[in-house]
Amino acid sequence: MSGPKGILTDVTKCIGCERCVQSCRMANDLGTVLPFRWLLDDGLSAVRWCSVLRKDGKFVRKQCMHCLQPACVSACPVGALQKTAEGPVIYDSDKCLGCRYCMMSCPFGIPRYDWESAVPYVRKCQMCYQGRVSKGVQPGCTAGCPTGATIFGDREDLLVEAKKRIADNPGRYLPTVFGESEVAGTSVLYLAPMQLDLLTLGNKLDERPMPGRTATAMSAVPPVFVGMGALMTGIYWIIERRMKAERERAAKNGTPPTDAHGHGAAGHHTHDGKEG
Amino acid sequence: MKMKRLKTVKSILWALVGAAFAIAVFRFWRGLGPTTALTDLTPWGFWIGFDVMGGVALAAGGFIIAATVYIFHLERYRPILRPAVLTAFLGYSAVVVGLMFDLGLPWDIWHMIVFWNPHSPLFEVGWCVMLYLTVLLLEFLPVILEMSKHPVLAAVYHVLHKFTVPLVILGIMLSSLHQSSLGSLFLIMPHRLDPLWYTPILPILFFVSAVALGLMMVTTESLFSAWLYEEEYELDLLQGLGRVAAGVLWFYLALRLGDLAARGVLPHVLDGGFGPNLFLVEILWSVLIPATLLTIPATRKRMKTLAIAAGMTVSGMVFYRIDVGGLAMIESTGTRYVPSWTELTVSFGIVAGAALVFFWIAEHFHLMHGGPMIKGRERLPDVTNFRPRLIRGAVMFVSGAALATALLPNAAIDGWPVVAQTVHRPGYGDVMILDGNRNDKGVRFDHKMHADIVEGDDKCAYCHHMVKPGARATGCSECHKDEHLPTSIFDHRLHQELLAQGPGCLTCHEDTSKPKDLEHSKPCLDCHSSMIPAGAAFKPRESPNIGLAPGYMDAMHGLCLRCHTEQDGNSSTDAPTLARCSTCHSGVVKPFDPLHPDQRLAAPKKDDAPKGDDPKAE
Ligand code: SF4
Ligand code: SF4
Ligand code: SF4
Repeated sequence: MSGPKGILTDVTKCIGCERCVQSCRMANDLGTVLPFRWLLDDGLSAVRWCSVLRKDGKFVRKQCMHCLQPACVSACPVGALQKTAEGPVIYDSDKCLGCRYCMMSCPFGIPRYDWESAVPYVRKCQMCYQGRVSKGVQPGCTAGCPTGATIFGDREDLLVEAKKRIADNPGRYLPTVFGESEVAGTSVLYLAPMQLDLLTLGNKLDERPMPGRTATAMSAVPPVFVGMGALMTGIYWIIERRMKAERERAAKNGTPPTDAHGHGAAGHHTHDGKEG
Repeated sequence: MKMKRLKTVKSILWALVGAAFAIAVFRFWRGLGPTTALTDLTPWGFWIGFDVMGGVALAAGGFIIAATVYIFHLERYRPILRPAVLTAFLGYSAVVVGLMFDLGLPWDIWHMIVFWNPHSPLFEVGWCVMLYLTVLLLEFLPVILEMSKHPVLAAVYHVLHKFTVPLVILGIMLSSLHQSSLGSLFLIMPHRLDPLWYTPILPILFFVSAVALGLMMVTTESLFSAWLYEEEYELDLLQGLGRVAAGVLWFYLALRLGDLAARGVLPHVLDGGFGPNLFLVEILWSVLIPATLLTIPATRKRMKTLAIAAGMTVSGMVFYRIDVGGLAMIESTGTRYVPSWTELTVSFGIVAGAALVFFWIAEHFHLMHGGPMIKGRERLPDVTNFRPRLIRGAVMFVSGAALATALLPNAAIDGWPVVAQTVHRPGYGDVMILDGNRNDKGVRFDHKMHADIVEGDDKCAYCHHMVKPGARATGCSECHKDEHLPTSIFDHRLHQELLAQGPGCLTCHEDTSKPKDLEHSKPCLDCHSSMIPAGAAFKPRESPNIGLAPGYMDAMHGLCLRCHTEQDGNSSTDAPTLARCSTCHSGVVKPFDPLHPDQRLAAPKKDDAPKGDDPKAE
């Protein structure tokens, strides 16, 4: 295989037939959508890993963006989510413990949960890694698309292709490729005649990678840990020494120790001896 | 009667524990969906926001007082050391129990130990909880062991006792990490968190507020247990804590506002609307009022006002954590999550359980200032007798459990009802590719058009939910009964009438020796030679000798995808124009002119409406 893979979706070519949804369903053996309380109205759910959003007569396919620096991967405490060398961000249900931090951290609101199950797992598009992409076969969705609106290939080639389309069809697209630099880049790219805010969740984000936002705090952990220990030991030692000196001086002078710190109030009279 | 307060409080606590227990059973049996209000948009709710965030926060008193007594040698705070450490231990246990409910796969919690992802703040939180819980247990165990005469336990006691200071230092190290990493948890959610809360210094803010919170938690707790056990208030000690807390609170406020100013969002505080108003209420509640009360000596030294200040700081700082953990995400995500009563009950049940353990230890060990609250106190005659207490507790527990079970939604008990749901928007789009006979060949089906044609309240039910086993929707042929039948478009009687003059029957049945059937008659196209428009997108697959129109299925299968593929790149065939009948059948279909069979009449004949368009007619 060559470079990392990606998917390019051209919004202007999509006819909204949802063949990709159907193919995804077949490729991943997904079940029936039931009208559960917890579903969002974007069509994604634990049993639908891609969907087609409709806006102003345009069709926008939604799926996991397979971020180059995925928030979900850095968030998962047990490393159940991994970014593969081939590009797909995949999930290992054997590791997951169901904290759902990945769902909270994804800036596109992609991962979904088996809420109805007593043994629930996180569900999302895996870019058909196991069954297809790792074997050099393209994903179900791109294979199923009748118009070539969503295609699979090397991310680099797809970027070149996208830029070529922009150049060849002036006015047909916005001049940017969505996913080239959003949250530091994603493996899934979009060409569209309009802004694709409908794909993101919540506040607008810049191009900083999501994992970087916790990295500073996380790298401060060892020094803070050690520093706090040193500080506390130091303070303890200094005060202990000073008080010892004071006690000795008091013993020499024959006066009782100054009770600045309320020694007399020591709690448990029954066990004062042990309490030290 | 003596100790009435205690009895009432304990009864309520037992009932809450019982209710939580009942819900827990259904939570593990039926899953999170039916027993919480969590959604795909809001996967963290009250259990994280209150139990985990709040539990850890309340535990802050433990390391603060331990540091005060052991590190800073402020011996006069020793009387409140043990309750504070116990609260911390119980707070953390509550976090763990709360997590057990919230995690989807709680039995896999040990994965944290085996599979590592050190980049994850949650990984750090998890480890801190585990380690600090152990440290707290070791720190507190001497209180239990000192009562024991058993030689082994006594030996353990002495070992533990020797390591008190190192344990305390380790506890402080873990706590400061943990308190702050609870803030780091939200650093990866800039998309969810309101800018008034989202800041790179979240971990610092969490740590500083935890210090104030810890001090005030110890205060609240001392005042409350004194009230409950009808003892003296240790006002002198507590006001000292209050003074420190005031300083910490003002420092926290300065940090918070300074950070807002540095990020340039300070002016938004007065913007009005949900976020800014929430912010103002939170600041007023968690800092301004309590800090003022604690700063003024007169109010700090009075029991009532001190209690108010302590209560406000504690609830206010828990409020801050709930804001970060959820409320400040409402606007950005548009979530409509409101915790279900089941979630609330479980949370309060956990707190109630922790409180009962606290009381039990307070009553049997040297926890409080005056030693065990029960032993040898003649003002507690009835509680030394175990059975009535046990029975009262059990009765309340069972009643709580029964009440909760009775109130549970059906879904939590019977599982999800799938048939009787209200009808939602279609799972597929306006236009879909149907593969009715599962042969991998789809037809394009205009769902929206059908939904528009069929009117009325039950229009969806016209096709959906007809309770056909295993089927979500009714087959097309249910209405379009002729779907698979070649449809005769030839009207023999009309031709008979119109062709009565001239050659008559011989017009079509030319060879009189042959039977007068379709096969041996003149093809329609001989007269109606332009029956198929020159530019028709759909060309009959069979010979042009048609007498029969193709069935819907053949027609439709041939139509969309084939032409889309053939015509790819031709903009006039872009979706959705090509799908319309009128793209090929332009204009209204007019009847043939009987005198010139190759031409059509000027106006459409009345009551000649095309068949099969109105499924209701069937
Ligand atoms: S879109 Fe979300 S789930 Fe997909 S890789 Fe990015 S962060 Fe992870
Ligand atoms: S829910 Fe599972 S996959 Fe997601 S962050 Fe938690 S452990 Fe990782
Ligand atoms: S890549 Fe595979 S899993 Fe993802 S949307 Fe396409 S078919 Fe579905």
